[in-house]
Amino acid sequence: MTSGPAGHESFREARRAEALGASLPPLLVAARRVAMTVAQGVHGRRRVGQGDSFWQFRPFLHGDAVTRIDWRQSAKSDRVFVRETEWEAAQTVCLWADASPSMRWRSRLVATEKAERAGLLLLALTALLLRGGERVRLMALGENAQGGRDALEAVARGLARARAGEAGAGLPPMLPVPRYATAVLFGDFLDPLAHVQAALARLAAVPVSVHVMQILDPAERALPFQGRVRFADLEDAGETLIPRVEGVRAAYAERFARHEEGLAQICRGLGFGFATHMTDQPPETALLALYVTLAPDAGALG
Amino acid sequence: MSFSAPWLLPALLALPLLWWFLRVTPPAPRRERFPAVRLLQDLLPTEETTARTPWWLLALRLAAAALVILGLAGPVEQAGTLVHDRGPVLLVVDNGWATAANWARRMAAANAALDRIARSGARVALLATAEGPSGAPLAISPPMPVARQRARLALLRPEPWPPDRAAAAALLRAWRSRWGPHGAVYIADRLADPGSADAAFAAALARIGPVTELAALVPAVRVLLPPQDRAGHLVARVAQLPQPVRQRATVLAEAPGGRILARFGVEIPPRAALGEAAVPLPLELTNRLSALRLGGKGAADAPSAAGVVLLDERWRRRPVGLVSGDPANANLPFVGDLYYLERALGPYAEVRQGDLAALLARKLAVIVLADRVLPPGPETTAVSNWVAGGGLLVRFAGPLFAAHPDALLPVHLIAGERALGGALTWGRPEPLARFPAASPFAGLAVPADVTVARQVLAEPDVALARHTWATLADGTPLVTAAHFGAGRIVLFHVTANTAWSNLPLSGLFVAMLRRLVELSAGVAETPGRAVLAPAEAMDGFGALQTPGPAAGGLTADRFAASQGKAAVLPSPRHPPGLYGPPNGRRALNLTAALPPLRVMPPIPGARVEALTALGRERRFGPALLAIALGLFTIDLLVALGLRGLIGWRARAGARRGAAALGLVLIWLAVPSAARAGIGATNPALVTRIAYVITGNPAVDALTREGLRGLGEFVNARTAVTLGPPKGVVPGRDDLSFYPLLYWPVTANAPALKPVAVTALNRFMGNGGIILMDTEGGGAEAAGSGAGFAPGVGAALRRVSRGLAIPPLTTLTYENVLAHTFYLLRDFPGRFDGAPVWLARDPANRNDNVSPIIVGGDNWVAAWAVDANGHHPYVSIPGGANQRLLAYRFGVNVVMYALTGNYKGDQVHLPAILQRLGQ
Repeated sequence: MTSGPAGHESFREARRAEALGASLPPLLVAARRVAMTVAQGVHGRRRVGQGDSFWQFRPFLHGDAVTRIDWRQSAKSDRVFVRETEWEAAQTVCLWADASPSMRWRSRLVATEKAERAGLLLLALTALLLRGGERVRLMALGENAQGGRDALEAVARGLARARAGEAGAGLPPMLPVPRYATAVLFGDFLDPLAHVQAALARLAAVPVSVHVMQILDPAERALPFQGRVRFADLEDAGETLIPRVEGVRAAYAERFARHEEGLAQICRGLGFGFATHMTDQPPETALLALYVTLAPDAGALG
Repeated sequence: MSFSAPWLLPALLALPLLWWFLRVTPPAPRRERFPAVRLLQDLLPTEETTARTPWWLLALRLAAAALVILGLAGPVEQAGTLVHDRGPVLLVVDNGWATAANWARRMAAANAALDRIARSGARVALLATAEGPSGAPLAISPPMPVARQRARLALLRPEPWPPDRAAAAALLRAWRSRWGPHGAVYIADRLADPGSADAAFAAALARIGPVTELAALVPAVRVLLPPQDRAGHLVARVAQLPQPVRQRATVLAEAPGGRILARFGVEIPPRAALGEAAVPLPLELTNRLSALRLGGKGAADAPSAAGVVLLDERWRRRPVGLVSGDPANANLPFVGDLYYLERALGPYAEVRQGDLAALLARKLAVIVLADRVLPPGPETTAVSNWVAGGGLLVRFAGPLFAAHPDALLPVHLIAGERALGGALTWGRPEPLARFPAASPFAGLAVPADVTVARQVLAEPDVALARHTWATLADGTPLVTAAHFGAGRIVLFHVTANTAWSNLPLSGLFVAMLRRLVELSAGVAETPGRAVLAPAEAMDGFGALQTPGPAAGGLTADRFAASQGKAAVLPSPRHPPGLYGPPNGRRALNLTAALPPLRVMPPIPGARVEALTALGRERRFGPALLAIALGLFTIDLLVALGLRGLIGWRARAGARRGAAALGLVLIWLAVPSAARAGIGATNPALVTRIAYVITGNPAVDALTREGLRGLGEFVNARTAVTLGPPKGVVPGRDDLSFYPLLYWPVTANAPALKPVAVTALNRFMGNGGIILMDTEGGGAEAAGSGAGFAPGVGAALRRVSRGLAIPPLTTLTYENVLAHTFYLLRDFPGRFDGAPVWLARDPANRNDNVSPIIVGGDNWVAAWAVDANGHHPYVSIPGGANQRLLAYRFGVNVVMYALTGNYKGDQVHLPAILQRLGQ
């Protein structure tokens, strides 16, 4: 800990990460609970194939290349063994949740912040995928693909790191993604449509199969304010004074609908899946819909 | 209605501007954080109605702003007009003796007048009409701003002498010619000046422009005149301006050190200027008085120099003992030895007769022996000891005396007597010569028809002339005197009856005896022309101070109006107070020289107002500002509400706050007495002493104070914890909660009602103890309280009729009551010596405890402690030990009531020990 503004700032960051981390275990429990409600569907590919991980030893058969003999194992007995590796299901599922300040907001109508719901859905999906034997990777700098017993906790920690850091951008980052991977994006996607299209097009160029889950607060759709209100953005869009909110509600609703329509159109054009989840709805519904959307792909992988 | 800052009022014109601003400015927007601001930007509203400030909020704000402007402008009601132009105003303040009683109100009136003058910006000058104690002549301070004049005004004090209106009139005339007529304010005492310069003063004041006279509309002046000796009593006299209703003044009789010996009322009949009442004190205590003082609570009885009369030796009454050589015929009319003496001394001294030993048993100032020879032996020793201790022995000659002159004489006598007239002599009866200047009789006129026919002769001696106080015309001594120890022996060379001279028939005899009695008690005579220096001077409020720088001495003969000369009217040169050496103080009283009180007419043409008329100035500024503040608070709440900042939670909080406020208000509204009453209603929770309410407020207050004082003593010294005493009325209140009932019996106590008799009998039967106290007794009673409560014996018989009182005996050391806590042999209260009675053989049923204790030593007065922790009543004969013994007796009574015969064993201890020894 150093003195001065910079030290003070890092200290505050650490404190915030700590607070968020402390909230993670309950989030994990909730995510597991949500995942349990979804039917067991995706099965792992527990079979021999291309891969780096050890799978099993088997006796040498005719036709096997001599270079595949595991001499160390063969030396332990009279027989000759071949080392087999597990078939690697190369389709790691990349997950991304919007960590911009606009997600850390809720209206008076609901009790859940958008970021919280996004994290819940992300972790629940992670739990589901892990149970199915998939590997999961957070789309963030320095995150690796995770699998196995501790993967869920690792993803949760990664999520907390992403939230604690000023990830800022409301759109998925430009990171190397495995080709033909599957990506699931959680966010409010309230940025201008041109920016959204640019970001998604980058992913489509990899190519990656993407599913977009838009998380919205009901107030963002309904604009339930009255009278003279000065609206302040949570990010950098500045302030807007509305002399009489009732007067602009219809125009806003129309503009909002157009934004959503545009978003859906972008996803359709890129071949991405798109769904909208309101924070006043139960997360299980969204998770099921997500699962149903992902399932054909998962089946195709098998 | 006027404004202290009227230049602020034009700001009201800005109100429409404010209205316009408020009208066009919409209310402040509510602030909301919202993620989708981008979508909101540049939205065109479908309706073009901007939110406007509601009209009632506008009105509220405008009203608040207007109130602020008005409040700052300082509206003042009843400003009055004391100032007519910008010239200097003259403030004339009476500060003579009559102003002390309501001095604070006068200063308030003067300051109120200065307030008004200050608002106009005029300068003001100040004139106080009585001279200060420094003796500097009166002067008008130069005109100066009000703020500086206030400091001078604050230094003014009421002076204990009359105002000098003649000098003031001269100053006023000079002021008029120097500064012109710009008006004056006169704070008047409205009493006519003894110097009769009132008319000149009024005329001079009236010429200084318009005059506003501020005065008490009815001058509340009350004056305590010097008391008079009348028929054996000191009579206090209170003078005042005649009032239409009966008035009652309260007079305090003070002993040296400010202790109050008596408090009594003086009635002043309607439309009378004078009220009189005798000082209700026995003679010995009257002689100890140092001052009389008005001590009521009314405005007229406030401390002032006119409400105090200092008493010096002239008012001391001294008991005189008369002894005759022929007791059988001493009082025979016209021939008895003591017949003339008794009539000469009786009006102003207490005269006692009897046997010499009996007389010497009590305190005496003077003993007169008329033809009484003192045989050598114990009698002579007793008398000479008494004289050596400060007594004055006056002896008259006679046939027995001439035959056997004894030792206690001022001069040596030639045996036998000299006859100057009669059938067998050539000479004629000799008249008296003028008294020598050094004689105490100096100044008394000698009637020509007083002659002496027979006398005893002194042996011619060198010192004889020094010892001679009076001579006959031929030079032979008639009265001789000599010091003897601290006292003095005076010999009249004639008889006290008309056998040897006709001196006893003349007024000179009375005057001579009176001078002699005045000489007694160690007071040395003061030569008439000796100058007495002021020792203590009185200030305007009647308190004794160090004399001022101007105070000078006064010759001894000018202290009283005598021989045609008027008494000295006090002034800075001769302030009222005490003069002379410590053992011979003479008092100069203001009221001795005051003329009868008369009201001075108002200044011609003046506007006359009551003293408080100017004080009723009301400033509205603060109230208006407070209302504006309240309106602004409402506006703030309304604005917060409009912006949605007071939500449901805040409203719930406000409701809780309002409920709490309501509870606080209810708590405040419940009278504190009612709250104090909670928990104090059960009399069984605390041990208390009860006392019988007599209906006489003074007696009841004394009893309550005394029992509280005893309670503190008991709580401090013993394990008993007594609560505050409780007044009860037998028959009405339940007595069963109280172990002890104190019953002060007053002389006018009525007989008990049957229901009260029943209640008291049941109280005694159930083990309660009644402590009856007659608080002194009649003249015939024993003890030092004799004479304090005449008629109380009859009252005691009256109130105790019907009570089941067992046979009584006096309390002695052998009784349990003398042992219960302290071992006591005496049981004094404020007085000492009266016997204490209690049951002779108490019933076995109640622990052998006497149900009744009767005494007359006024214990509560000894126990009483006032709010300052002082004992308000002196103990008689006195001494701290007596009060301590009184407290100890009280502790024993409380213990007796609470523990019964617990200490009974101790009484029988000697007998028990003796039995054990065997």
